[in-house]
Amino acid sequence: MRRWLVFAIVVGILFGLFGGRSARAVDRNIAGSAQLDLHVVPKLGDDDEKSDPNYHENRQIPLTGFTTEASLKLVTDITDHFSVSAKLCFGCHGFELPLAHVDYRVADELNFRAGRFSPSFGAFNLRHDPANHRLSDKPLPYDMGRMLRMREWNLGVLPSPFPDNGIEVSGTHWFGLVAQLDWAAYAVNGFRGDSNGTDLDFRASRSRDAYYSDNNALPTLGARVALTVKLDSENDATVGASAMHGTFDPEDRLHYSIFGADLSLRLDKTTIRAEWLARRQEFGTADPRIFRYAVPSTGGDFFVKHGAYFEVEQSLTKRIDVIGRVDGLFRIGNVVLDSDLSRRSSIFRVTAGASYLVERGLRIKASGEYWHFSDPDDEGNHGAIGVHLALAASF
Amino acid sequence: MKRVLTLLLVLVAGCGGAAAEFDPAPLPPDLRADYRVFARRCSKCHGLERPLQSGIDDDQYWAIYVARMRRMPGSGINEENAVPILRFLRWYAGELRHKRARSL
Repeated sequence: MRRWLVFAIVVGILFGLFGGRSARAVDRNIAGSAQLDLHVVPKLGDDDEKSDPNYHENRQIPLTGFTTEASLKLVTDITDHFSVSAKLCFGCHGFELPLAHVDYRVADELNFRAGRFSPSFGAFNLRHDPANHRLSDKPLPYDMGRMLRMREWNLGVLPSPFPDNGIEVSGTHWFGLVAQLDWAAYAVNGFRGDSNGTDLDFRASRSRDAYYSDNNALPTLGARVALTVKLDSENDATVGASAMHGTFDPEDRLHYSIFGADLSLRLDKTTIRAEWLARRQEFGTADPRIFRYAVPSTGGDFFVKHGAYFEVEQSLTKRIDVIGRVDGLFRIGNVVLDSDLSRRSSIFRVTAGASYLVERGLRIKASGEYWHFSDPDDEGNHGAIGVHLALAASF
Repeated sequence: MKRVLTLLLVLVAGCGGAAAEFDPAPLPPDLRADYRVFARRCSKCHGLERPLQSGIDDDQYWAIYVARMRRMPGSGINEENAVPILRFLRWYAGELRHKRARSL
């Protein structure tokens, strides 16, 4: 069955590229982006180190690294109702195909999508491409690997983008000229994990090594609804809610549920965005000895990870935008014995940044961030600072 | 790090002579309001370079393109907005066709 689905998608893409009605070049649209980001996190010395006369010489730089994200997207409108999309990305995981799907639109209110795509969840996911956000990194709830202590935290709540194979039905409806209602519902393979896993295994989720199709029998189901209201001819507000539920272990015993709520306001040259996500994550308790805290007989088989961000983006001139963001994660629940987290752990980050438009499609992004962790690292530090400097291009 | 910053400052100072994303000065006066609607609505989810550098110079395809964008979640582009957006993009496509014809 899956082979036929892949075959149908490939045929659709080839048909879109080389065949179809009149085959005019204008029916295809190519867009792309590339971002190179330098992330520097100097070591914060503790008081003992600072009293050392050789403090500056001894000071180390534990993290300095470039990351590149590049993508190329092709959308082909075969008819007014039928389109094919494909996107190729290069990032930390090498080359990926996050988009390869067909869309068939019956009406504005009813669109069918099948193939590989990022399911509709939250507001940030719509603009996850680095060309579409002014800071060079993602908010913590959606972080995909550039957060500090990413291994200890196993990333954020829901890494973005999170391409998966499946189907989605969606639509949009305008109530007069004032309000736009968007909705989507989908069934996808979902995330993966071990039989007695203690969290989602994001590496296994994006890998085909262990499971070519999926590791379990049940699909993950989800939905999103959002309402956009025009406040006047130029300003608008959007409020949305999202949910996703599925199993991640091969036996379909362990569940995860992700919820989200978002609000964005566009007021003249100011854009305000706020978003909250929470994941209720079950884990296997067959061997309670692997946990740091006693596992109660009921209700002790899950943790909840919250994530939220609030950001204000202000356009100062046609070229310069400034951005302020506060974001964080909060995890409640049991941890494995060797975890660096505790029963209640949190991260809080404050970021201030600016973006300069060099010319159309080319931006320089710079930001500074302060991190605070509820749990100390090996040297007893709770804080860290970081600097991002990036060049982003898009077309 | 200081060297990188200095280099960037020099780069920034050396660039930026051209108009930011689009210079509306050559626009006919009756299209300036249309451009404003385009710039406002089409910068909500992405930069203006996406449509302006797409290379589309076909009016019919712009109609399909804008209709697709109008259906994007949270676009805020209603049917009333689509009219001035398309008017501006058709003018822009005409300019693009002229430029291509001159370069032949």
